[in-house]
Amino acid sequence: MKWTDYIIPGVFVWLMQLILSDFLAIETVRPDFPVILILYWSVKNGRAVGTVSGFFFGLLVDLSGTATFFGLSPLIYSITGYLGGNLSGSYTRINPFHFSIIWITILAFQFLIFCGVQYQDLWFINWHLFFGKWLGTTLYTLSFVAILQFIVPLHRVA
Amino acid sequence: MYGIYLALVRHKDHVLFALSLFLSSFLLLNNSNPQMGIIRGKAAEMVSFVSSPLTWVKSLMFLEEENQLFREKNLALSLQVESMLNLQKENEELLEMLDFKRQTKLLIKPARVVNKGIQPNLLSIIIDGGKEDGIVKNQPVLTPKGVIGKTVEAGESASIVQLITDVNFRLSVRILPSGATGILRRLKIGTAQIREVQKNVEINIGDKVITSGFSDIYPPGLPVGAVSGVYDDRGSFQKVVNVTLPNDMSAFQYVFVIIEKSNEMD
Repeated sequence: MKWTDYIIPGVFVWLMQLILSDFLAIETVRPDFPVILILYWSVKNGRAVGTVSGFFFGLLVDLSGTATFFGLSPLIYSITGYLGGNLSGSYTRINPFHFSIIWITILAFQFLIFCGVQYQDLWFINWHLFFGKWLGTTLYTLSFVAILQFIVPLHRVA
Repeated sequence: MYGIYLALVRHKDHVLFALSLFLSSFLLLNNSNPQMGIIRGKAAEMVSFVSSPLTWVKSLMFLEEENQLFREKNLALSLQVESMLNLQKENEELLEMLDFKRQTKLLIKPARVVNKGIQPNLLSIIIDGGKEDGIVKNQPVLTPKGVIGKTVEAGESASIVQLITDVNFRLSVRILPSGATGILRRLKIGTAQIREVQKNVEINIGDKVITSGFSDIYPPGLPVGAVSGVYDDRGSFQKVVNVTLPNDMSAFQYVFVIIEKSNEMD
């Protein structure tokens, strides 16, 4: 495990998010590329690497972005890293369908926490809108993960 | 001691997870800490520097289209200015007759949007103006179409602006011509909602919505939007007013920050 294995893809994804996410935005919803990288890292290297990389990448995202709730990205990315790490080396042990369902659930769960904190007020005003936000944000990022499955399937790194 | 060390090593995954949860929660709960503001201000400057070449390319892409638009707008404004000059003269005469003096002075600083953040939702932006330009925390930010947000952090040469699209954003507004006031919050794309409006006021679709001036941040009279729907809140003494917001959040590249305001009435 070399440090360049983390720095190069990390910087690449960070720049991609910084530069490309705005072009790919649908109204106010944008893809979350860092979470995809954290998921891949954690599935490949386990819970410890997933949690630590998630925390530090989250810090970088909050510092380089315009986070309203500073500290939210480290929280959700480290949760993704920890939960994703449980899938490390498990592809041969569990049903491929269940494997896919688990990582989709992990991503949906992390976006639920994100929306729960970010749109806590919306939950009380109009919960339909809240779920719309959650589903929109989750599905948009999931569509990019789905495309990535044709290039580098997640089970191959597990 | 060695036993504790061994337990930590054995359960390092869980320990690291617990530690990261604790640190993240600590950061979340200390959002209003002034030292945090300084760090975020510095980080915004760095992002502004990294994003500046791309912003430059983007602005070149839209240059021709924007020029055409400005030419048309210029002509329309020239015609409008002519009629407004006449109205101003008439207004001054009337004010003089009433012995009423009013002085509203707004010092506006233009700024370019250098980054729209990297979070999955567009809630705030970074602009290329900071303390060096007189921009500080809690200053109104607008486009020619209307209010777009407020500054939440200011670095030396870059600032973070919380957008009106953030569901946690609130704005005290007035509806014209009725004069009713309420609190505006964003509801969904292009639409906001005004609550805490008295039930007995008459509000019609198309009525103008402006800032009320009750806020310490926003001076009165800044355009916000237009009324698109009114309904009575069942079981309450209040009306709920839906408002169309004029700004397209995915398209604007330049904003204006009101860095000084004085509104004196005698």
